[in-house]
Amino acid sequence: MWVNQYPILQDIERLYHLGIDIGGTFTDFVFRNEATGEEVIHKLPSTRDDPSRAGLAGIQHLCSQAGISVDQISRVLHGTTVATNIMLERNGAKVGLITTEGFRDILHIARKKRPLNFSNYQDIPWQSSPLVERHLRLTVPERIVPPDGAVEVALDEKAVRKALSELAEQKVDAVAVCFLFSFLNPEHELAVRRIAAEVLPDTFVTCSHEVTPLHREYERFSTTALNAYVGPATARYLQRFDDAIAEGGVGGGLRLMTSAGGLVSSKAAKQKPVSLLFSGPVGALIKGMDIGRAAGKPDVITLDVGGTSADIGVAPNGRLMHRHILDTRIGDYDAMMPMVDLTTIGAGGGSIASVDEAGMFTVGPRSAGASPGPACFGFGGTEATVTDALVATGWYRTETFARSGNEIDRKLAGQAILQNVAEPLGISLPEAALGIYQIASRNMADAIRLGSITKGYDTRDFSLIAFGGAGASFTAEIARELSIAQVIVPPHPGVGAAAGLLATDIRYEQMSSLWNDLAVLPSTELREKAASLAEQASAELSEDGFAAADTEIVYRLDCRYVGQGYELTIDVPGNFDADDWRDTVAENFHAAHERQYLRRFSDKQIQVINIRVIGIGHVPIPQSLPTLASGSDKPVAEQTCMFASDEGWGSFPTPFYDRHSLKPGTVIEGPVILEQIDTTTIVPPGFTMLVDELGNVVIKSGKPDA
Amino acid sequence: MPESTIEYLPLKQLHDAASSTATSPIETRHWTPVEVDPVTLQVIGGAMNTAASEMAQLLFRMAYSSIMRESQDIGAGILDRYARQLCESDSTPMHCGSLPAYVRGIEQKHAGDYNEGDVILHNHPYFGASHSPDYGVIVPIFADGCHVGFAGCTGHMVDIGAAHPGWSVDVPDLFAEGKLINAAKLYDAGELNRPLWDHILENVRTPEANAGDIEAMIACCRLGANRFTELIGRYGIDVVMSACEQWLDYSEKRLRTEIAKLPDGEYRAPRGWLEDDGKNFGTPLPIETRVIVDGDDILVDLTGSTPQTETGFNCPFEGSVLPTVNFAVRTLLLDEAGDGAGIPQNDGIFRPIKVYAPEGCIYNPVFPAGCEARFAQINRLPDQILQAFAGLIPDRVTAGNSASVGAIAYSGVPEDGNYWVLVEVNEGSYGGRWQKDGIDAIDNLMANTRNNPIEEMEMSAPLRCERYELRDRPPAAGRWRGGLGAARRWRFLKPTMISTTGDHRAGDKPCGLDGGQDGYPGSLVVNAGSPGEKSLPAKVSGFRLNEGDTLEISGICGAGYGAAADRDPDAVAADLRNGLIDHAGAEQSYGVVVRNGAIDGAATGKKRRELKSAPKA
Repeated sequence: MWVNQYPILQDIERLYHLGIDIGGTFTDFVFRNEATGEEVIHKLPSTRDDPSRAGLAGIQHLCSQAGISVDQISRVLHGTTVATNIMLERNGAKVGLITTEGFRDILHIARKKRPLNFSNYQDIPWQSSPLVERHLRLTVPERIVPPDGAVEVALDEKAVRKALSELAEQKVDAVAVCFLFSFLNPEHELAVRRIAAEVLPDTFVTCSHEVTPLHREYERFSTTALNAYVGPATARYLQRFDDAIAEGGVGGGLRLMTSAGGLVSSKAAKQKPVSLLFSGPVGALIKGMDIGRAAGKPDVITLDVGGTSADIGVAPNGRLMHRHILDTRIGDYDAMMPMVDLTTIGAGGGSIASVDEAGMFTVGPRSAGASPGPACFGFGGTEATVTDALVATGWYRTETFARSGNEIDRKLAGQAILQNVAEPLGISLPEAALGIYQIASRNMADAIRLGSITKGYDTRDFSLIAFGGAGASFTAEIARELSIAQVIVPPHPGVGAAAGLLATDIRYEQMSSLWNDLAVLPSTELREKAASLAEQASAELSEDGFAAADTEIVYRLDCRYVGQGYELTIDVPGNFDADDWRDTVAENFHAAHERQYLRRFSDKQIQVINIRVIGIGHVPIPQSLPTLASGSDKPVAEQTCMFASDEGWGSFPTPFYDRHSLKPGTVIEGPVILEQIDTTTIVPPGFTMLVDELGNVVIKSGKPDA
Repeated sequence: MPESTIEYLPLKQLHDAASSTATSPIETRHWTPVEVDPVTLQVIGGAMNTAASEMAQLLFRMAYSSIMRESQDIGAGILDRYARQLCESDSTPMHCGSLPAYVRGIEQKHAGDYNEGDVILHNHPYFGASHSPDYGVIVPIFADGCHVGFAGCTGHMVDIGAAHPGWSVDVPDLFAEGKLINAAKLYDAGELNRPLWDHILENVRTPEANAGDIEAMIACCRLGANRFTELIGRYGIDVVMSACEQWLDYSEKRLRTEIAKLPDGEYRAPRGWLEDDGKNFGTPLPIETRVIVDGDDILVDLTGSTPQTETGFNCPFEGSVLPTVNFAVRTLLLDEAGDGAGIPQNDGIFRPIKVYAPEGCIYNPVFPAGCEARFAQINRLPDQILQAFAGLIPDRVTAGNSASVGAIAYSGVPEDGNYWVLVEVNEGSYGGRWQKDGIDAIDNLMANTRNNPIEEMEMSAPLRCERYELRDRPPAAGRWRGGLGAARRWRFLKPTMISTTGDHRAGDKPCGLDGGQDGYPGSLVVNAGSPGEKSLPAKVSGFRLNEGDTLEISGICGAGYGAAADRDPDAVAADLRNGLIDHAGAEQSYGVVVRNGAIDGAATGKKRRELKSAPKA
């Protein structure tokens, strides 16, 4: 009998779930009563020295508002950029590495390709700014060999002890253990872990076969080194958060969003902090999928635009896509971890528009950041930014920004655009402002194109969902560019990531290497591996308190045609008990290959490289309640705005509405602008918006239906 | 040949005799030029770059052979019907800018004779191919029935049926270096020429890999063609082509602006030496490089370089020499890590650059001379050009680079008779740079491929890697030290044949700059440290290794920049800590005395004064 450490579903007393997304600037909360579906949102400035502080303060605030005690919260779900920030700020652990003799410099040589072709003066990040310095990369005699993981050179345990003592003397914070072919046989890495427990008892130790048991030594070692680099600080942070919510009397346990788009326990996250590198932006994509499902349009693209960057997610048919192994990295450091296919580009409100000496007009990737920020904020910025363009067109009103405590100056915005763009190009201010907006929109559209159309998805079938402070200002324009059928702006786009946490399943992924031809891969081997991985995944779920009925086990295989180098991950049914399982795998693979690469080679042999077993704990997703409209549904203002038109540009009398005053069923033809505290929705001429029953604003091109 | 005896063409004649990758200005257009507003210009520029990038991504992911999908030795792009390159993928520099030559090559056979659905396969180095293993696939693009351009890609085939698996340097002519395909229509109006397809694959050792690679290349071109026609469908041919022309003009203008900043004049690199031609070992071959800045034009004159060799060690002029010089000039003057970011590599970049190599020299061989093994000598050109400019723009050049290549084709025939062939391009290193050290163990200049994972190699071939690290020797000393090469040792579990191409740079080391130390040569040693130890030349053709033999590969180390005694003592201490140099080296080369991990300031000052006052050796 299981004693449920984290009662989730059975305990009816604890009805409240809480999603917390901690970003660099704001900490967002979404608090939901699972019985009624009622949601409350809250935003606090992040506390960067100890982000858990704002977390706890928000929890207490929401509970007192709701009139409940904090121990009535059953689950705290958390998306965090703590690991991401360690990478951005490069303030991670001092890492030591133990590796196979003869292979000290795998992390230094990497794949020996320069990031840039046409450059003699580039820095090579993994050399100029290494995760593990060379004097902390120590080698020991040992060698595991393919194909079956035989030991060719026994591990020299004396050498291991000596190397670990040296790392102890050097006072490393973390140790990465990386041996060749450890994914075939982990015994040497495990032996080092055992010895490390004696020599460096309080140090974070991570083994490559545990972090990612897949072939390609550089990518596996790099992932393991990253895990060690972000590990100690992330684990400490999670521990503080755990302690803080325990002390605060919050019920349930902490769960973390992973880059793969599932939640794991904080215990699992502490062992594999590298799995949290994209923990932050995934939530919005999952919320977008939830919105798409509810609206009966499961194909979604999400666009989350902030001050300096835009995150783009693509989920065809409501399913999370994962990145190709060629693309799983953070910055220039490879991280061979399952990652949701999110693209981040340097395009946001702060992106700078400029005209170069040869007269070329560009927007971004340079950003004015928070300081000096866009010219219109009056903090001394003189360059023209995207936000300045949104102000100069008349779309962002001074009065609206003043209500949330931000002063914006339309004159400063205009000056910056005139000086930096309009005059050098010899065009008018409206043309320049609209030009900045269009180029920024199309940069985002190009990124969406690379992330979707490239992979064989037709964006015309998709809904584009706006998140972040600025997403809703661009989505209609991008929809036009990509012929996307409709745009959806949810009621609270500013807290999309936190809301997404509440719609996310618990997900544990286990993998193992197979490396055999499909035709000869023994059924028994596959079944045994599948069963053993499934057992591990089930154990984790049941430790999380899931009843068997609420769980699902998904089986996937990484396959390729014999001779190819990159695998496609395909879903396979069940547990390979059927007699014709090979035929099913083959057909699924051929079909996946054809979709992605336009061709299938039915007569070619298929190789099965890895098996992945994913244990999913389904979280009930109650239907969102319709948002109640409040206040008068008359325009709060009307003013002249500039919009692009066939003649270049035109002035349009444009009504402004308080978005939350609009009742479901309201239909308004563009141009119209909707204001709310956390975003501004732009509906250009040629588009029509409608408020649906769930309170979403849906924007489509054309006139209102007759 | 003493320098004084080189007979250079006078400038005017040189202008006329030199060639460019750029298409001559076109007189008639099949569209109406229109004004394109700055926004649409950005949109179309972005869409073209995205298309080229998509093409390459598809190719990496779908390709079969390790040389294409792991090493990424490929290029892809879109050209207009005048063979002007409109966009190209950011893959391997050697492939960048070779596509126009491929298209001109196929034009010689098919100009005016294209159908929708054609797929043209080409590898003839005397008709524009980069070298015979680099197959090109070209697909003509049609919009509304009008031929508007070409989508093309190039990729290195692991085997093309040469005298030896992979390739052979020691061959008498072009015909021995592999099967030639001169602008053959693999598909004619959508119809596969099955006998041709079978014939091509039946004449190579790795038919499965080649078939998969060619299929991937076809998919890549079709994707590019679709993207271009979609763009035309959306904006119309007038706007798309006018925007593309503006982008070409833009790149041209940016490069010309930089050239014009250089004083007019003639800049010469010191004479360089190539080790041998892969047959006549011990006979070095001279190369000469002079660069002429004439207003906003640059001319590179290779007159005086050694006559063409009797082996496959020659460079196809159009498909290899021109792209290399284009690369060298662009990288030097529009570095992507600096002002050159975001400037597309297109026909405009090629316009200010011209190259002259007299017919019959190693850089412009005459049919039917073999020219498969061209990388070692071609990669000297960017290094020579850097040296030529060293005095003029010291903050943009590098000290001597590895400027070679060390490519090895490993092969064997298992019991089932099906060949395995693996190609690995070994890493080079950079010379020291102004205010930056040289880059260690990385592909150098024209090469920018990836290594094969050891765990991939050992799983797919009977090889065992015993070592893959930085070389055990101090880097070339300098204020900014040279990059270190890599050391790799393979053990062969079955009898294995290798063919190699390269140049160890033993006779003509990477050249130290401004008082920096010269770099170090590379080597290939069989059974190092055992009684049967044997050093191999950089170029062997079909060398047999026995079961249990080892091969140790040491990469060339780049040269130092500036006097070592001026190196930041902290950087010296870091090199010491990281095991790149020892205490004796720190003191003798750099004059830095480190005691118990800390720099001894007084002793260092004294030592450095001694070093600086010592007479130069």
